Amino acid sequence: MNQATRRSRQTAIRLFAQEYMDADLPEEGAGEYDPSFVITKLGAKVNRALVGGVIDRVERRETESGSFYTAHLRDPTGTHRFEVASFQPELHADIEEILNRFESGDRFLMLLVGRARWFETEDGGMFTSFRAEEFSIVDKDLYTHWLVEASEATLRRLDAYEASIESDLTPAALESAGVPSDLIDGMVLARGHYGEFDTENYRVGILQSLSMATGSDAIFEAPPAQPTLEQSNESAGEVIQTPVPTGDVSDILLETIRIKDDGDGVDYDTLVHAAVVAGHSREEAEDAIDNLRDIEGSIIEPRFSFFRLTPQ
Amino acid sequence: MSDDGRYATQIAVVKEECKDADEAEIIKEFRRYEEEFLIPPEDALRSVIRKFQIAAGQEVSTISSRSRPAIAEKKVTKFSELKDDDKNVTIEVAVVSYIPKIQTVRGEERQIAYGWVEDSPWEGERERWDFTDWGDHSQNLTPGSIVRLEGVSVNFWNDRRSININRPSRVTVLKEGGQPVTKISDEPVPISEAGEAEGIVSVVARVLSKKDDQIVKKDGSGTLDIVRGRLADPSGTIGFISWRDFEHEVGSLIKIDRAQIRRFRDTPEINIGDLTKIEPFHDSSFASMDDLQSVNRSTISELRDGARDIEITVQVENWQARTFTNADGEERTVRSGDVMDPTGRCRLTSWGEMSPEPGAFLHLKGARVQFWQGSPDLVIDSADQVIDLSDPPWDAIDPADHWVEVDLTDLVNGGSRRGIRTAGTVVAIANNSGIIERCPECRRVMREGECAEHGPQRGDEDVRLRFVLDDGISNASTLIGKEATEALTGMDQAQIRDAIDANTRAGYIATLRERFLARKLHVNGRAMVDTQGAILMADSVEVDTRTPEEAANEVMARWGVVL
Repeated sequence: MNQATRRSRQTAIRLFAQEYMDADLPEEGAGEYDPSFVITKLGAKVNRALVGGVIDRVERRETESGSFYTAHLRDPTGTHRFEVASFQPELHADIEEILNRFESGDRFLMLLVGRARWFETEDGGMFTSFRAEEFSIVDKDLYTHWLVEASEATLRRLDAYEASIESDLTPAALESAGVPSDLIDGMVLARGHYGEFDTENYRVGILQSLSMATGSDAIFEAPPAQPTLEQSNESAGEVIQTPVPTGDVSDILLETIRIKDDGDGVDYDTLVHAAVVAGHSREEAEDAIDNLRDIEGSIIEPRFSFFRLTPQ
Repeated sequence: MSDDGRYATQIAVVKEECKDADEAEIIKEFRRYEEEFLIPPEDALRSVIRKFQIAAGQEVSTISSRSRPAIAEKKVTKFSELKDDDKNVTIEVAVVSYIPKIQTVRGEERQIAYGWVEDSPWEGERERWDFTDWGDHSQNLTPGSIVRLEGVSVNFWNDRRSININRPSRVTVLKEGGQPVTKISDEPVPISEAGEAEGIVSVVARVLSKKDDQIVKKDGSGTLDIVRGRLADPSGTIGFISWRDFEHEVGSLIKIDRAQIRRFRDTPEINIGDLTKIEPFHDSSFASMDDLQSVNRSTISELRDGARDIEITVQVENWQARTFTNADGEERTVRSGDVMDPTGRCRLTSWGEMSPEPGAFLHLKGARVQFWQGSPDLVIDSADQVIDLSDPPWDAIDPADHWVEVDLTDLVNGGSRRGIRTAGTVVAIANNSGIIERCPECRRVMREGECAEHGPQRGDEDVRLRFVLDDGISNASTLIGKEATEALTGMDQAQIRDAIDANTRAGYIATLRERFLARKLHVNGRAMVDTQGAILMADSVEVDTRTPEEAANEVMARWGVVL
């Protein structure tokens, strides 16, 4: 086959935020210049992606090496996080403009080409994000085109995933099961790594997007209820009893510490990740950790960023 | 609107958080999220609250980034050098045992594994530790193997230390466990597979053609007699070179054992050498010569650089003769023209005397392929190789509008082609798009007033856009020349220059990004493909004009989605 493995450009995967947020399998390139990937449950190998959404946050931070920026884009399924690094001065003027518009209260749709990044927690959990390469403010028409493209790409992966279920996890078997060649590598890795899951979750975003694009009023309910603000904003000290399928964020944090603490405490990122995995936002988790430590007093932070249950 | 009431729940929450927020403004915002940003009110809640908090100057929870300094790699040779909380450890170990186990982690079934590893795997006294593999490195942790672990950490629990092999950890096998199995199969493979292979292959094939040839040795020490020819089976054909006698007649069926696949330019060839064994093969049901001849017929889309012995039918678009004086002072005439078939177009060069009319159909035998400027050029050395067909094999193609629609992925995975039409979405806009300067001598694009070959000089101004088109599966760098750029952007060269002068190049690029980033484009032109990917040279470019609704309906039809 192609023996020469000179680096060709990585294709921009179209995917919704949910699929990318759910991913926790990185594949680090073996050589110094080999590309690295985030592998999603549906077998997408993401090094570069084309994603979109309404701007939801933009922040500038100052570091020793200059300004860098973090931002969120929300699509119908969740939030894509991206950053513009201090060493990308060519993008700073554009992201400053976006920051200014955002801070003046403007909200708008964006499409972004970014490179996959991830951030590991100690127990092997992972946050995924993008480093911006190109981005632009777009109108609803172009954004809807992206929704359609992302829907089709996701449908294609769902189809491949379903074809892989009955197949052996070898490239040859997957190929004969009908998995397209660009998805085979990722599918082998994804199926070997992720447990079984309900693919229906990924269909909801597709159906929503397609119905938006066609102007249909069909409403698609996501199977698991998203945690709402009321739950995370209940005032401190109250016993929160709202039944949420994914569990209360404080309970999850406490339980995580109880299980994982083997004497040294559980680190901050592990806790946040556990909450995120259960469907809570990062902000909720952060607020809840502060709340448990400073107000409820049910956890302590014996050394920076490591948490234990308050001794009885 | 009467449906304002449907935001009531959300509005109440917003007002609780932002006391001074105006209800009409809140409704407006929710409607905007729903209608413009396609995010339903329940999902938009958090965003809307944040917006009003910012507007009111309230404190907003920030994205936390507790940056942890990167932990330096710790390289050790013995477990005893490790401390309780060491992370990012690199060590070479022998794998003693590996016991996989399915464990439910956060509601998902995961395979983890326990086992023993020993340090100092190469010599000296070993110490044995437990390990846990959280990252399913089972393939590289077979018992009996020696591996290098990178990015692992020490786990200290109940007064015992063990190794955590995490998901991002790397496991490199230094010595295989068990018996290494390398197999070289003597089983014959179909020719279509042999052409994709590297190294040694065996095939059963019929000899389609052969002729004696000579190779002039590069060191000038003389010539070498060889035999060239072509082999066929029902899956395809492949050229061969025999470096020794090859006495099998055209038409005979042979089994070739242990031949070597080598590539001449982009074309695989079977090399028959001293180690190769050839014997007659008997199979009365094997495809006949006549059947195999049709397998051997090529289309323009299949032409690869370096291919020989091509049989192909083409339609002539135009024809010219050019006379020149070669290096030896001889006057020679080369005839050439553009030719087409239903799969695309290419050039045909003839060293023999022929002057076909535009529209003529030619059947060529024994043609070879040479690449010129990245696209296939059919070459024939004598007019004897050409049959002028009176019976057209297809309805005459109109050259003015002959663009063969090719999926971007097929294009990138195929060979270089002319006369194609393909589509993709713009995912990158090169910073040197717009006005460029070309070296007046070699036409290459100059950088900072300098040609790589001819040094600093005054360049000729030209217009070019450089995009990357990407369809989510494949991508191709795309060069859009002056005419196509002017037509696409609606600006002529002078206007583009003025825009760059007035607004800086970065400003001009920003306008291109606003107009074209994430837009789907259709490109007519040619494709140059090599191992680094594909370059599209656009003759003309159009922006996709489908509405999102049309695009969505196509997707739903393709995937059987019903709303």
